[in-house]
Amino acid sequence: MAEIKTIEAPSPRDYKSEVKPVWCPGCGDFSVLGSITTALAELSLAPENVAVISGIGCSSRIPAYTNTYGFHGVHGRALALGTGLKVARPDLTVLVTGGDGDGFSIGGNHFLHACRRNINLTYIVMDNRVYGMTKGQPSPTTEPDWDSALAPGGTGLRPFHPLVIALASGANFVARSFSGDLAGSARMIVAAIEHPGFSFVEILSPCVTFRPDEREWKKMVHTASVEPTDDPSRAARRIMTDDGFNTGILYRGDRRPYEAVHGTGESVDPTALEAEFSL
Amino acid sequence: MSKTETITLIDLLARAYTIEREAEYRYADLADQMEVHNNLELAGLFRKMSVIEGKHATQIKDRAEGQVLPHISPLASHWPGAEPPENIATEDMHYMMTPHHALKLALAGEQQAAIFYEEMSRIAADAPTRAFAEEMAIEEHEHVKMAEDLLAQYPEPEAGWDEDPDPPMLQE
Repeated sequence: MAEIKTIEAPSPRDYKSEVKPVWCPGCGDFSVLGSITTALAELSLAPENVAVISGIGCSSRIPAYTNTYGFHGVHGRALALGTGLKVARPDLTVLVTGGDGDGFSIGGNHFLHACRRNINLTYIVMDNRVYGMTKGQPSPTTEPDWDSALAPGGTGLRPFHPLVIALASGANFVARSFSGDLAGSARMIVAAIEHPGFSFVEILSPCVTFRPDEREWKKMVHTASVEPTDDPSRAARRIMTDDGFNTGILYRGDRRPYEAVHGTGESVDPTALEAEFSL
Repeated sequence: MSKTETITLIDLLARAYTIEREAEYRYADLADQMEVHNNLELAGLFRKMSVIEGKHATQIKDRAEGQVLPHISPLASHWPGAEPPENIATEDMHYMMTPHHALKLALAGEQQAAIFYEEMSRIAADAPTRAFAEEMAIEEHEHVKMAEDLLAQYPEPEAGWDEDPDPPMLQE
């Protein structure tokens, strides 16, 4: 018989630290923080069994705002840190968080290989299509015609398509959500954590300071009208042809997650290795 | 909500508890946002609302009179919207927002809560449950009236209220 939870069950508040977020009011990252803490409470995970790892950027501040274990790492290297942690401590629930600049520009190569390795962790990217912390430069996901003081006339560059790249690189779970739907994003994070392998969740999260136009996103997002598929070619067609505001679980694969091989258990004499490689 | 669904008093108390506790936390988060951005008038208003909602949660827990209230998740499907009805949206926040904006958001939450309890009254399994739902609906309507009265004291600011000639830089 399932255990009956009472009101003493974990609350999202139990996963928040005492540190007050410094994000701009209206920033979508507040809701994403709420979605993460709500998801952790929903799964009743002990805070000491969870680690939130990030890189650099506004959204990468999240580890400070949670009371799980956390590591605010270096730019673009959140997935490398998260991968190392998960391999060393497979018992932990590892969430890697960050923004589009951190994850898809300087961290782009780590993104490809994290998808390929299919390690059992969840990567949540708060995509606001701009570098907010450094005052509004275009990021890899910025529209080519976004005109700003720092990119007059726009970059003219084709935007990076994270969901397609994730799918092509081997991610086992690919989803898109919107920060304005705190509960929907929380449910998606629950599903991502529960799904084996590398789960990638892109959360459209408006930057109200440098992209005030993104306040309109709440009128543009819409729920995917189709069920998740485990067929990558079908998922690819859907993702390639949608308008970028289609939310839902778009792909749920069944690839076996990577598990580290921990050797034979025989001890190795380092002096023998040194001798083998000596010049 | 299906036409055949009914609700018992203990389940209604549990849902009401989640509504009030979640609202307490949401208002506290908004107070923190305003404090960080030095909008102390709004920080005080949101903090006060958080305290009030917290008291309501405790009162509801006390109403259970020693019975164990089941946990109702904020992600449960019981709510008419995506979240418990008094959870106000965070995406409409602005560091220069005024009491008018805050009261409008709070008003929407109270209105949703009143509708929720009216619906609970309709599906109540018995008379005590219906009485509690009606009591809560009346209380929420009183909150709606309070918010409306306060809004009359804080008229909508003129256009341009959010223009800042010296916008703040994000803390590094």
